[in-house]
Amino acid sequence: MIWLSDHVRNEWRLYLMLLPTIIWFIVFLYKPMYGLQIAFKDYSIFKGVAKSPWIGWEHFQSLFTNDQFLRAVSNTIKISALNLLFGFPAPIILALMFNEVLHAGYKRAAQTIVYLPHFISSVIIAGIVITAFSPSVGIVNTVLGWLGFDSVYFLTKPEWFRPIFVGTGIWQEAGFGSIVFLAAIAGVNPSLYESAVVDGASRWQMMWKITLPSILPTIIIMLIIRIGNIMEVSFELIILLYQPATYETADVVNTFVYRQGLQSGQYDFAAAAGLFNAVVAFVLVMVANTLSRRYSRTSLW
Amino acid sequence: MSSVTLSDVEKYYGPLRVVHGINLEIESQEFVVLVGPSGCGKSTTLRMIAGLEEISSGTVSVDEKIINRVAPKDRDVAMVFQNYALYPHLKVFENIAFGLRIRKEPKDHIDKTVREVSEILGLTPYLDRRPAELSGGQRQRVAMGRAIVRHPKVFLFDEPLSNLDAQLRTQMRAEIKRLHKRLGVTSVYVTHDQVEAMTLADRIVVMNDGNIEQVGTPMELFMNPANRFVAGFIGSPPMNQFEGTLTANADGLFANVGNASIALPEINNVQHGQAVVVGIRPEHISIHPVDNLPSIPISLDLVEPLGSEALLHASIDNQPLIIKAETHGDIEHLKAVTELFAPTDLIKVFDKETGAVINSHPTGRIAS
Ligand SMILES: Nc1ncnc2c1ncn2[C@@H]1O[C@H](COP(=O)(O)OP(=O)(O)OP(=O)(O)O)[C@@H](O)[C@H]1O
Ligand SMILES: [Mg+2]
Repeated sequence: MIWLSDHVRNEWRLYLMLLPTIIWFIVFLYKPMYGLQIAFKDYSIFKGVAKSPWIGWEHFQSLFTNDQFLRAVSNTIKISALNLLFGFPAPIILALMFNEVLHAGYKRAAQTIVYLPHFISSVIIAGIVITAFSPSVGIVNTVLGWLGFDSVYFLTKPEWFRPIFVGTGIWQEAGFGSIVFLAAIAGVNPSLYESAVVDGASRWQMMWKITLPSILPTIIIMLIIRIGNIMEVSFELIILLYQPATYETADVVNTFVYRQGLQSGQYDFAAAAGLFNAVVAFVLVMVANTLSRRYSRTSLW
Repeated sequence: MSSVTLSDVEKYYGPLRVVHGINLEIESQEFVVLVGPSGCGKSTTLRMIAGLEEISSGTVSVDEKIINRVAPKDRDVAMVFQNYALYPHLKVFENIAFGLRIRKEPKDHIDKTVREVSEILGLTPYLDRRPAELSGGQRQRVAMGRAIVRHPKVFLFDEPLSNLDAQLRTQMRAEIKRLHKRLGVTSVYVTHDQVEAMTLADRIVVMNDGNIEQVGTPMELFMNPANRFVAGFIGSPPMNQFEGTLTANADGLFANVGNASIALPEINNVQHGQAVVVGIRPEHISIHPVDNLPSIPISLDLVEPLGSEALLHASIDNQPLIIKAETHGDIEHLKAVTELFAPTDLIKVFDKETGAVINSHPTGRIAS
């Protein structure tokens, strides 16, 4: 203790610089956790968080007998799995492709174009998607019409929701996500490629044998982060794109929490669902990180 | 085995010409070292032979076949890079095998060749390690191994030893020389270290500013430098050079450097009063009287002992000079040196304007 107080006295400037971040964490992340206890309470806004009576695991019990919640969990996992399968490789492939573009001007233009959707608000993205898939004026149905197909109201069809949602996510984020992989590729020692050229490697072989292994640590880190976020399907885009007709495939835990909590006023029940989501996410990050550290010597911490 | 010929090879980066039309014939099995100051175009020349840089004009041929338009992989050359260019994610075995795997050689052939080569290089105990787990010298050997397994027509080395400490460099230098003796593969070796050049080369190519200054065996360059640049580059320390004027009298030809008068060898086609530069190697200067050589007064600044020899830093007429003298186990007697004697037949005389040698030795090979 004496050592600690001496240490703080000597290094108070460093701690002072740390303070704003600590305050931010307390105010915006730790203080709200106080409210989490309502997941175990029969919460009433009139009694307040502290005075509401404890009821133990009751909310969780009703959660796991609630068909809508179970459907939301299953939808979350399915959408995330699709996202991981198609959305995760997309920026890597994009980065590898950019790396093969030799003309500097063309490369820059192409990069700007794919980065752009990231900077557009989800509301506008959703607007574009809704318009594109609209049965009357949408480009998709227009093209289908030329090809002799009947028009389809895609956004009301549960079987189309996941492909459209995952595709939209890729369109919005793949370009921006490729930056991190491009940076990793830029860090590869150029003489590795020269040496491979002299050894007779083709560009394709160099991509497989040099570029990909060299950026593997980055890929693994990004994968860990991604797995940690599996439960966090991008919630506002779902809210903007789904409708009761597609709840069957579109409703995820977060949108379920939103509807129960904010629309139906069942705060305690919604808090229990949200807490469940957070615990699962936490376990996933821990597991992914541990596995990665054990098998590839790469880890987040 | 294979010869390499460069004729009128030029390299432009945009409008900037960095290699100014060089001509060079490298014979089969020869070990040629390109040496010169930083930025003189050594690496560029080597990379044009490897096919990593386009040849702006002129031709490069291997075995009389022009390879300007041949892809690097079909040139059958192997290159060792300064930073080794080892693949960090591959074990030593796979690093060495890389070129063979790329060429889709049969597995048992790869296995056999890699093991043979690692035996030659003493890498057998390390085949299962990654490059990060090796010392600098071992990494260097792996880089050599990668080149050797392919049995190329030509080896290209770009300053392969410059990342090693002095002791290891000496050791690896000897190893490269032994390897060349054993394999007899035509080699082109780039360095800016003239000691490396002297010890390794069958022939040295001295480059400066995109031009070849002189090509010759190490001893030819040492004894008969074609110009002041080569004289100042080869040898450690390099040749001393003093500016002076020619005078002729009944006793022969002399150069007046300040008040001193240095006896010169016979030279044709020179004029009385001509401005010249006199060159003499530090190790050729005597500090003890030699029959009928004139004494040249010097002022001594500093004595640097090296062991059996010492370097005497002195000046004649404010022009610096270095003398290499025997210590015989003690440097005290060297601190009293006030004069030197320059053996006439070892003196080189350069034209002050062009820098070219005037009393060239007939056997010296001088680049056009
Ligand atoms: N890509 C490039 N673009 C423009 N100029 C270049 C390029 N590469 C090299 N140069 C120039 O060409 C000249 C020769 O370079 P080179 O690398 O051949 O020198 P070097 O003799 O190998 O020197 P060092 O001993 O420092 O390696 C230098 O002046 C360099 O600045
Ligand atoms: Mg170089």
